[in-house]
Amino acid sequence: MLNKNVVEIKNLLKQFPVGGDYFTALSDVNLELEKAEFMGLVGPSGSGKTTLLNIIGGLDSPTEGNVSVLGIKLGSSSHNKRAYLRKTKMGFIFQSYNLLPVYSVFENVELPLILNKIDSQERKRLVNQAVEWVGLADKIDSRPAQLSGGECQRTAIARAIVNEPALILADEPTANLDAENSHQIMKIMVRLNKELETSFIFATHDEKIMAYLRRIIHLEDGRIVQDEKIENPRMGK
Amino acid sequence: MMLFNLAMKNLIGAGMRTWLNVFVTAISFFMIIFISGMYDGMRSHAKQVTIDTEVAGGAYWHPEYDPLDPFSYEDAHGIPPKEINDLINNKNAFSILVSQASIYPNGRMMPVVIKGIEPEQSIINLPTQSLLKEADGLIPVLIGSGMANYTKLKVGDAFAIRWLDANRTYDADEGVIVYIMETENFKVDMGTIWIPLERAQAMLDMKNEATYVTFSKNISKVQGKGNWIYRDVDYLMRDMEAMIEADEPNARIMYAILLSLAGMGIFNSQILSIFRRRKEIGTLMAMGMTRSRVVGLFTLEGGMNAFFSLIMVLVLGGPVFIYFALYGIPLPIDYNEMGLIMAKKLIPVYTTGLFISTTLFISFVVLVLSYMPSRRIAKMKPTDALRGKVT
Repeated sequence: MLNKNVVEIKNLLKQFPVGGDYFTALSDVNLELEKAEFMGLVGPSGSGKTTLLNIIGGLDSPTEGNVSVLGIKLGSSSHNKRAYLRKTKMGFIFQSYNLLPVYSVFENVELPLILNKIDSQERKRLVNQAVEWVGLADKIDSRPAQLSGGECQRTAIARAIVNEPALILADEPTANLDAENSHQIMKIMVRLNKELETSFIFATHDEKIMAYLRRIIHLEDGRIVQDEKIENPRMGK
Repeated sequence: MMLFNLAMKNLIGAGMRTWLNVFVTAISFFMIIFISGMYDGMRSHAKQVTIDTEVAGGAYWHPEYDPLDPFSYEDAHGIPPKEINDLINNKNAFSILVSQASIYPNGRMMPVVIKGIEPEQSIINLPTQSLLKEADGLIPVLIGSGMANYTKLKVGDAFAIRWLDANRTYDADEGVIVYIMETENFKVDMGTIWIPLERAQAMLDMKNEATYVTFSKNISKVQGKGNWIYRDVDYLMRDMEAMIEADEPNARIMYAILLSLAGMGIFNSQILSIFRRRKEIGTLMAMGMTRSRVVGLFTLEGGMNAFFSLIMVLVLGGPVFIYFALYGIPLPIDYNEMGLIMAKKLIPVYTTGLFISTTLFISFVVLVLSYMPSRRIAKMKPTDALRGKVT
């Protein structure tokens, strides 16, 4: 492999226009993420965690600097190319689950496969496998409104992993969950990381998540203040 | 196909919300087709009545005859050429002799047009046989109910008739109403008195003469028509067509109003849908759907909404259309008095052409209306959409 980095960020600057001026959300960010890393972006509200996650996911563009994800330079690539990258190589997990309310668990998990034009037999197999992974086989026909918060987030995880992406971006995935559900969710993700070698980036300020992370990037006011490697995380060994 | 499947899933999954939208749109579609059918029914009926009671297969006119110029009637009479007379003798045509006259019903004077007609004719649907009734030597007169109301004449009422004969001499006699006909064609009713042809020829001193000769349907044009002028159905229906054409803008305005209502409903539901589903839009973008595809998905959903509405119109409205097409819609007012050829019961006409043209036109409008609000999606930032923010 020529480049083992999943994410490479150099001199990233992100500014948002506010009134007649600019607000700097991220500044001088340099970061590399290797395959199968289990990393968290940690910091207080407004520190730039979600903005950095969105830029890595190609949902937002950098103002300056280079961002490369899975070998694709995001700054110079088109909307469609970034959409293709997300569709084929990335999975997203959101704080509020973002499940489609009119779809069942099966249909929600199936959606990324439909977008990738996988045939229906293979879709069924992969969806069942993903749902098994997150322990929701008995809820496969339920709609999000019939599920608990933990079950919704497990559905969202199944949706994120169903096409076995190289990178999963999770924005505050446990913020709406109680402690027990949070630990269950994190255990599922640790297992995925180990078995499928999927890279994970979390944006969080939840202590429970931090206990599972093997690398923590501390952000403050849009800058990386500390890059902490943890050899033996307290949880998820 | 992928977009179609997703759109179908979204619509079916939304359950009652979808069906309420579909129902509201279907009502507008139903009204568009129903009212267009009523207009077509009115037109078709007016044409049919005119052909049935007046025009038949066409006519041969005396060269001087101009129905819009009453002064032409004095000179518009003559013996029809032999070949036209042959049609009359073979009962394929009948003569009508036209003259100006005055009548004096209940002491009032009123200008009228006398039309002498062969009482035994069966080519046009007028009760001319009633002119064979015994009238005690008076002139038997057939009038329409509109004329009877206007002149306050009843069956059996006698009144004076004064006319100018072929020798430019005024003459007068008494006529008696032998029958009052109910007709939807005001042109054979208002201002016209019908008398037996022979009596008219004698009164006017125009033996064997006619002003025009009306012939049956499916009779081809004769060669030896002399200088008489051949008038086919198209020519004789020109006024009617012009009236219908003049009425077209009203029909179009009604159509546009109904279409706007349907359109506003669709536009509104699309806007609401995009507003309510912005998080879903963000999620689809995050999962790698391009903006153009999301726009396509929402446009398709709007289009399918319209398609379901049409199906609903056919399924639920179809029996209603069939019922009205068979049994008609009773009208509360007699429109003949307003100078309109209209039945007491309106039979709407729903043609395949009406369904196809309405469907195609509405589908096009719906697609445009679905696309317009969906374009907002193309301007949405995925990060804003994910937060449920509309930009």
